[in-house]
Amino acid sequence: MTDVLVRARGLTKAFGQVAAIADATFTVIEGDQIALVGPSGSGKSSLLHIIAGIDQPTDGIIEWPALGPADTLRPAQVAVAFQAPSLLPPLTVAENIALPVRLAGGGDKAAAAATGPLIERLGLSDIAAKLPEEISGGQAQRAGIARALVTAPRLILADEPTGQLDSATAADLMDFLFEHVDLTYAALIVATHDVGLAGRLPLRWQMLDHRLQTEAFTGVPAVTRTGAETAAQAGAEPTCSS
Amino acid sequence: MFVLTWLTGLLRTRTLRLAGTVIGVTMTVALLGSLGAFFAASKAQMTRQAAAGIVVDWQVQVAPGADVGSVGRVIASAPGVLRSLPVSYASATGLSATAGGTTQTTGAGEVLGLPAGYSAAFPGEIRYLTGARTGVLLAQQTAANLHASPGTTIVIGRPGLPPVHVVVRGIVDLPAADSMFQAVGSPPGSSLQAPPDNVVLLPQALWQQSFGLLGAKPLAAVHSQYHVKLSSALAPDPATAYADVTGRAKNLEVKLAGAGLVGNNLAAQLDAARKDALYAQLLFLFLGIPGAVLAAALTAMIAASGGERRRREQALLRIRGATPRQIVRLAAAEALLVGILGAGLGLLGAALAGRLAFGVTRFGATTGQAIVWGLLAGLTGVVLAVVTELVPAARDARKISVRQAREVVGRGRSPLWARLYVDLWLLAAAGVVFWRSAQSGYQVVLAPEGVATISVSYSTFLAPLLLWIGAALLSWRLAHAALDRGREVLAKAFTPLAGGLAGVVTASMSRQRRLLSRGLLIMALTASFAVSTAIFNQTYAAQSRVDAQLTNGSDVTAATTAESGLPPRIFPAVKSIPGVQAVQPMMHRFAYVGNDLQDMFGINPRTIQSATAVSDAFFQGGNARSVLAALAARPDAVLVSDETVRDYQLAPGGLIRLRLQFAGDHAYHVVPFHYVGIVREFPTAPRDSFFVTNAAYIARMTGSPAYQVMLTKVSGSPPAIAAQVRHLLGPASGAVVQDIHSQLKITLSGLTTIDLSGLTRLELTFAFILAVAASSLILLLGLIERRRMFAITSALGAKTRQLGSFVWAEALFVTVGGVVLGIASGWGLSYVIVKILTGVFDPPPPHLFIPWVYLASLAAVTAGAIVWAGVGAVRSARKPAMDIIRDL
Repeated sequence: MTDVLVRARGLTKAFGQVAAIADATFTVIEGDQIALVGPSGSGKSSLLHIIAGIDQPTDGIIEWPALGPADTLRPAQVAVAFQAPSLLPPLTVAENIALPVRLAGGGDKAAAAATGPLIERLGLSDIAAKLPEEISGGQAQRAGIARALVTAPRLILADEPTGQLDSATAADLMDFLFEHVDLTYAALIVATHDVGLAGRLPLRWQMLDHRLQTEAFTGVPAVTRTGAETAAQAGAEPTCSS
Repeated sequence: MFVLTWLTGLLRTRTLRLAGTVIGVTMTVALLGSLGAFFAASKAQMTRQAAAGIVVDWQVQVAPGADVGSVGRVIASAPGVLRSLPVSYASATGLSATAGGTTQTTGAGEVLGLPAGYSAAFPGEIRYLTGARTGVLLAQQTAANLHASPGTTIVIGRPGLPPVHVVVRGIVDLPAADSMFQAVGSPPGSSLQAPPDNVVLLPQALWQQSFGLLGAKPLAAVHSQYHVKLSSALAPDPATAYADVTGRAKNLEVKLAGAGLVGNNLAAQLDAARKDALYAQLLFLFLGIPGAVLAAALTAMIAASGGERRRREQALLRIRGATPRQIVRLAAAEALLVGILGAGLGLLGAALAGRLAFGVTRFGATTGQAIVWGLLAGLTGVVLAVVTELVPAARDARKISVRQAREVVGRGRSPLWARLYVDLWLLAAAGVVFWRSAQSGYQVVLAPEGVATISVSYSTFLAPLLLWIGAALLSWRLAHAALDRGREVLAKAFTPLAGGLAGVVTASMSRQRRLLSRGLLIMALTASFAVSTAIFNQTYAAQSRVDAQLTNGSDVTAATTAESGLPPRIFPAVKSIPGVQAVQPMMHRFAYVGNDLQDMFGINPRTIQSATAVSDAFFQGGNARSVLAALAARPDAVLVSDETVRDYQLAPGGLIRLRLQFAGDHAYHVVPFHYVGIVREFPTAPRDSFFVTNAAYIARMTGSPAYQVMLTKVSGSPPAIAAQVRHLLGPASGAVVQDIHSQLKITLSGLTTIDLSGLTRLELTFAFILAVAASSLILLLGLIERRRMFAITSALGAKTRQLGSFVWAEALFVTVGGVVLGIASGWGLSYVIVKILTGVFDPPPPHLFIPWVYLASLAAVTAGAIVWAGVGAVRSARKPAMDIIRDL
C-alpha cells in the first residue's frame, strides 16, 4: 500500500490580520510529483515551510503519517531547496552539500559517499572547494538542490528551484530531479511560476487568494485529486497536529 | 527627513547593535572622565596632605644686626600669614647633670627660647612626654644622655660666660627637629644638617636672661627666627601651590631687604608632593589609558560586528539609487547619534563614579581643568563614534562593489601588520626599553631637590605599552594560525562538544578566523587589562601596608622612651586580648659608634617575624630568613646600615665596638659586637643609620632587660585592640600606642601617599564591566549577525545540541584562548609595571601579589556572561528565524 507522507486539514497561516494560507486541506502520498503554482505572495512558500515542519500553522491540523513527528522530519525524511542563496557562507560547496548527512549523524565516509555522485552529476566538481561567495547564483542553486537530495529524503520541497538558471541548465537540473524521485520514489512538490516546469509534473496545486486548490485547473492530463479524495484514499481521519 | 526616518528605523530594528556601540562610547568617556576626577581628587589630596604634614610653614631667620621687631611686623603683614612668633636660638658649649652620685656631661647643644603660646600656635612641634608643659623642657635624648628627669638641675655652658643652672620641668620629643634646626639659607641640594643631639627649651624670658647678652658679642652664637603659620588656602594642584608658596616667600625676602631669610618648609613638602603628582599622572597613564583604549577597541569591535549587515543595507540602498554621498550622510547621522548619546551618558557616569569613588563630581583640579577635561572626554566619545561608525561606512560606500558587499567570509590576505610581523617587533622593542630602564635603575621621575622643574622619563612607559599592544597582536596571530593550520587539532578538541559535527564546526570557524581572531584579541586585551590592573593594585595595597607597618612597626605598636621600658606584665596581658595573634618585645636603645649616636634595636631574631613583617628588601646581600638566621647564630651579632659599613670600613664578621648605656651606672661603656649584615629598613626604625642586634645580648651586657617597644600582630580591628592596649598601659605609663590603620592615613611615603583605593574601585569595576561586556556582547552580537546562518542550519534539520556546538565551540575558543593569552600578558605587564615603578615602592615588593578572590569572581562572572549569551543565542536559534526563512 502507498504511504501517506503528509495529511493536512483546514490549514491556516496568518501573519497578524493577513492570511497567507486559508483552510488548506490536502494529502501527499509517496511518489507524488506536484507543481504548486500561484502568483507571488499567494502563500506558496509558507505552505512549503509548513509541510517541511519548519513553520507551524496558525490553525488546522497537519501530520506526517509515514514520516513521523515534526521534529524528526529533517534532515533525513524531508528536504527543502530554497529559491534564494542559502548555502552557509563559511563552508565550501562540498561541505554545504554534505551538511544534512552530518546533521543526520553521518561520518566522513557516509558524507563522501552521498555527496560525490551528486557533485559529479550536477557539474559542481570544479567549485566543490569554493566558498558560496565565490560562485555564481546558478551554481549556488544547483548546490542547494544537491544539498536537498543528499540524504535521499522521501519528501522533497523545492521553492523555485530553477529561478536563477538559464533554460537549458534548468531543464537539465529538473531532469536530474525527476530521475532522482523516480528512482527513490520520493514525493516532490515544486513551487514555481514556470508554466513549462509545472507542466512536467503530473499533479498541480494552485494557490489562489491564499486558498489551495488541489483539483486540476487546466486541460493538462494530469492525475488530480481533491483533498477529500486523498483523505478518503488514505483511510483515516487526521489525528496528529503539528 | 530621510535621515530621521533612517535613524528611527535603526532605533527600532537595530536596537542591540546601536545600544552596544553607545555602551562602548559611554564606557570610554566615563573612564576618561573618571580618571579626570581621580586626578583632581588625588592632586588636591596630595596638596592637603603636604600642608597638613608641616607644623611651621616658614622659618624666617633674622639677619645678624637686623631689628627683630620690625622684621616681625613685615612678616605679620605678608599675605597669607596667619601667625608668626619669634624663637631664639643659642648654642651651648655643653650640658651636665648630676644624678645618682654621678655627673653626666654632654657635648655642645642648642638652647631655644620659646614665647608663650608657641605650642598652641604650632601644635605637634613639641610632643610632651613627662613632667610639666611649661618651664625648662629637655629633649628626650638629652634627658637620656644626662640621666635627667623632671626636677633634675642641669648646667648649661655658655660661650664666654659662666654656666647657668636650670631645673628641668618636663621631658619632650621634637618630631620636627630636622626642620627646626635647619640651616636657613643653605643652597638647595647641600647636605642636610643633622639636628643637635642635645636640646634645651627655655621660656623666652629665661632665655633672654641667660643668652640675651650674647647677642651683643661679636661672632655671637645666638640668632632669632620667626616661625610662621600660613593660611591653608592653597591651590589644589601641588605644583601650582609650590610655585605660589615659593613666590610668596621670595616676595617676603624682597620686602625684608636682607633683614631676613625664609626657610620654606611648606614649599619643601610641596616639592615632594608635586613629584608625587607626576607619579599620579603616570599611574593615570598606566591604569587609565589602557582601559579607555580597550573600551574604544570594544566599541570598534561592536561597530564592526554590524559590518556585514551594513554592507548589505548599503548595497540595497545603492540598488535603489542612493548615491555614496547620501549613504555617507546616513552613516554620519548614525555616528553622531551614537557619539552624542555615548558622550552624554559617559560624562554622567563619570560624574557619578567620581562621586562614589573619590567624592568629587568635577573632572579636574581647577574649574578650567574640569571644563577642558570634560570637553576632551566628551569629544573623544564623538570622535570614537565617527571613527568606528562613519569611517568604515564611508570607505565601504566609496570602494566596495555590490558584489563585494555580499562577501561575509572572504579569503583576503592577513592584515599588513601581520605580514610585517609588527607584533614581534613591538615585543622586541618592549624588551629593549625595559632592559634599558633596568640598566638605569628604573629612574622614572627625576626631581632634583629645590629645582622648579621636574622631569619624567616617559619613554620608560613605552615598555608596558609596547608589551600590551604587541602581546595583543600576537594573540591575534596565534589564534589566526591555530584556526588556519590547527584545524585537525581543534576538531579533535571539539569532538566531545560537537560529536560528528566537529569537523564542520572547525571548518566554519577556520573560514571565519579573521572575525574570531579579532574577538579573541579583544578578550585577550580585556583579560590582560583586568589581570594587570588587579595585580598592580593588589601589590600596591600590600606595599602600602608594608610601608605603614614599617613606619608603625606592626598592626599595633606600643612604645615608650622611658629607660625602664614597658612594664613586663603588659606583654602577656596583651597576648591574652582576643584578636591578638602574636606579641613581640623589642628594645629601643641608643649606641655610640665613634662620636655618632645611633638607634639600636634589640630583637629575638627567631620570633620577631611572628608579630611584624620583615621583608627581604629590608636587608642588603641576603633575604630576611638568611640575615635573621645569621643574627640568631651569634649572640653578639649586629646588623648595621650601609653608611656605617662604608664610614667604618667594616668587613663581614668584623669586630665593631659600640658604646651602650649600662643600667648600673647609667654611663656609656664599650660593648663588642660582630657585624654580620646590612640592614636598610626595620620596623619603627628611622630612615637614617641604626643597628639591629640580639635583645638577649643587650640585656646581658647592659644589665637592663627592659623592652621599650611592643609589636603586636592582630586578626581583629587594630584601632580597637590599640584602645585596649592603651587601657592596659594606663595614662601614667607615658607610652604611645599606634595602630596601622591610623598610620596608613597619616604617614605614607612616595607614591603611596596617593590614595589609590578610589581608583582601584573604579578600575576594578571598569575591568569587570569591560570583561563582561567584551565576552557577552562580542559573542552575542557575532551570533546575532549570523542569525541567517543559524536559521538555514536549523531549517536543514539541525537539532538544538548541534546548533549549540557551533555556538559553544566559538565561545570556548574566543574566551578560553583570549583569557589564557590575556592572563599571560597581564602577568607580564604587572611585572614590568611594578619593576618600572620600583622607585615608588618603599621597600620594593618581593613578588607580585595576586588578588585571587577578585580574579576568581571576575572569571565566574565572565563565564556566567558567556553562558548567558550562548544560551540566549542557542535558544533563539532553536526555532528557525522565520523572518529569515521567508526570504530564502
